[in-house]
Amino acid sequence: MKDLDTTSPLPLPTMKKAVTQVVKLPLTTRNKNNRGITKPNTKPRRQTLWYALYFPQLAGLCNNKQTHILHEIADLVVSVSSVVSFHPQSLICEIRSSLRYFGGINNIHDKLKALVIPKLQEHKSANYFLYAASPTVSGSLLLARSGQNTLVYRKENLRSALGQLPTSVMLLDKEQNRRLYNMGIRKIRDIWRLPPDELRKRFGSDFVNLLNKALGITHEPTHNYVPPPAFTTSYDLPYEIENLNRLLPIVDEMLIQLCEFLKKRDLNTDHLKLFLLHEKRNHTELDLNLRQGSRCRNHLLLLIETHFGNLNIPAPVIGLKISVKKFDAFIGESNQLLMGNLIVGRSNSNSANNTLNHLIEQLQARLGFDSLKSVSAIAEHGPEYAVRQLNYEESRILTSTTPVVTNRRPFWLLENPVQLILRNGKLYHDQVITLISGPERVETYWWSGQEIQRNYYIARKVSGSRLWIFRECGGKRNWYLHGYFA
Amino acid sequence: MTIIRSASASTEPNIGKAFNQHDMSSTKKTEDTTCTQIDQLLQRNPNLWRGCNITDQGFQGLSTGFPELDDILPGQGWPQSGLVEIISRHWGMGELQLLIPLMRSISEQGQWILWIAPPYVPYAPALIQAGIDIHQVLVIKQDTSCKDALWSMEKALKAKDCGMVLTWQNWLPGKVLRRLQLAAETGETLGIFFKRKGSKYSQLPLRLQIKDSDSKNHQFSAAEITVIKARGNFRPLTTQLDLYSQK
Repeated sequence: MKDLDTTSPLPLPTMKKAVTQVVKLPLTTRNKNNRGITKPNTKPRRQTLWYALYFPQLAGLCNNKQTHILHEIADLVVSVSSVVSFHPQSLICEIRSSLRYFGGINNIHDKLKALVIPKLQEHKSANYFLYAASPTVSGSLLLARSGQNTLVYRKENLRSALGQLPTSVMLLDKEQNRRLYNMGIRKIRDIWRLPPDELRKRFGSDFVNLLNKALGITHEPTHNYVPPPAFTTSYDLPYEIENLNRLLPIVDEMLIQLCEFLKKRDLNTDHLKLFLLHEKRNHTELDLNLRQGSRCRNHLLLLIETHFGNLNIPAPVIGLKISVKKFDAFIGESNQLLMGNLIVGRSNSNSANNTLNHLIEQLQARLGFDSLKSVSAIAEHGPEYAVRQLNYEESRILTSTTPVVTNRRPFWLLENPVQLILRNGKLYHDQVITLISGPERVETYWWSGQEIQRNYYIARKVSGSRLWIFRECGGKRNWYLHGYFA
Repeated sequence: MTIIRSASASTEPNIGKAFNQHDMSSTKKTEDTTCTQIDQLLQRNPNLWRGCNITDQGFQGLSTGFPELDDILPGQGWPQSGLVEIISRHWGMGELQLLIPLMRSISEQGQWILWIAPPYVPYAPALIQAGIDIHQVLVIKQDTSCKDALWSMEKALKAKDCGMVLTWQNWLPGKVLRRLQLAAETGETLGIFFKRKGSKYSQLPLRLQIKDSDSKNHQFSAAEITVIKARGNFRPLTTQLDLYSQK
């Protein structure tokens, strides 16, 4: 007995008085009924009509997958109704307000079917769904689960329509089902014959509430689906423009719109697409990936300007379009009230990070994504295997920060060792080379077939250059220059 | 005018003596006041400095880590911001080793070191050995065009969290240098140019040359540094360094 709410006791069905008006979908001879609906509503509050889509095939999938598919379908359903809510394996949308616009429930059904079935096929689910429409959310849900594709227009007809349904549509647990079965209850109308207080005592208030909601006796709040924000703006130029810099003021105007949009929704974006439209050619697309979400107009404009700097367009530009689909919550920087040293330090490093991100974004925009590298050390003995230049983004994974070797290593390592000339017992690389210290034996990779077996020496040229040279231990025993102690 | 005359009096006391022997006490007084005035001026205006006094340049530099070099550099070390040219005729003269103590302190402060188009790949194990945090090292790849490299340098110099920018560019006209100089002042960043050849008329404010040590017993770590041009010195100053004494 969790919460004993004080709704009026469930009225017993008065079968004789009830006027049922159950119509199967798709409706073919429904014109009379339709006319009845379009009459002006005399009640002060407008009635609603909820259309339920039930996907029993989703029950076998994991929760995440279910919500993912339901969200995708909800994206489509939004085109029919502005109020969409989620329920287990089903979606419910309000369609009373759009009946006239679409020209009847049949059209709405056809439109939804054409949208939803391809989406289900895309996810390799069985391409069907059960549906029903009634004036209450739970009522539609129960009717849809029964699989009879029922349509009920009026609230007073709900009782008889629901009464015919088996109790299994309520999705009760095993124990409750067993108890109902033992009590001889097979259909929902049997439940209404029982005293509601006793029902509440035996089956809990949720059970009674569900039926009350289905009948429209109790209010049922719904959690509505809010479609994710998307921003698109475009600008048609009055004449063709070839000089990209002349587009910047227009881009700026468009960015102002974008920033307004983001500010109003308290959002940030880290991915922005700018399309330059050409006549009779495919558009040029600029993909701006930010390292950190931003809604700073100046920064975005600066990045676009940098991109324009090395962009070649195939034809003059006749239009511009900005589209943003990825958003993040805006996290603003806040100043500290108490200026403790630690706090100040932290906030400084945060803002420093920000400017660094801006710098890296700018460099990447101008020089190309692959041009910015970070040096990473790998725990390897082979000198050329101990370093790797990675793109800045993908570094940090492999990097070890403790050197494997303790012997001195040069700052410059040649990617390909340069062979030295040995003449009259003297080594030459433009000038005579004299050995200073060594050897240091490096033997590794014997397992890979590209065995490294070298004796490394520190040497110097007459000019004063400090070199790192090696001699192969096997094969031709050649000498090579491998690095500079810069 | 009076200030200038008194300044010359303070630096060349013999002349002062010859002129004003009978009025010694009053000159001393004016001398003192003008001296403080000069000091104030020097402190207030960074574009004023004493002509031939390398140590007293009104700013404290960052220690190079080599006391011998500190002694011959204005401000007893590397400037906090600005441009420095290091000339080494060949690779492997110790030109990077010279900067290692500075790089270490920069990376300890959490600032970044940007290498713009270095001639070879910086070898990470060596940087780690030298105590530099390689997570704060960024490299712009080698085949970047000169124009792009200088553009990147300007951007990086302006960025406050870039502590040091290293570049290996030879084409540096005066106009470019002026822009880079201003960028370095804005971002309080140190920009280092490595050059193979030194031109006679370079506009950079601090120029150093690293050479092989003169000593006959060729040691690995010995090097000779010449300060070709610096604020406050007229003729090149030379010192011998032990580059690896830091370890």
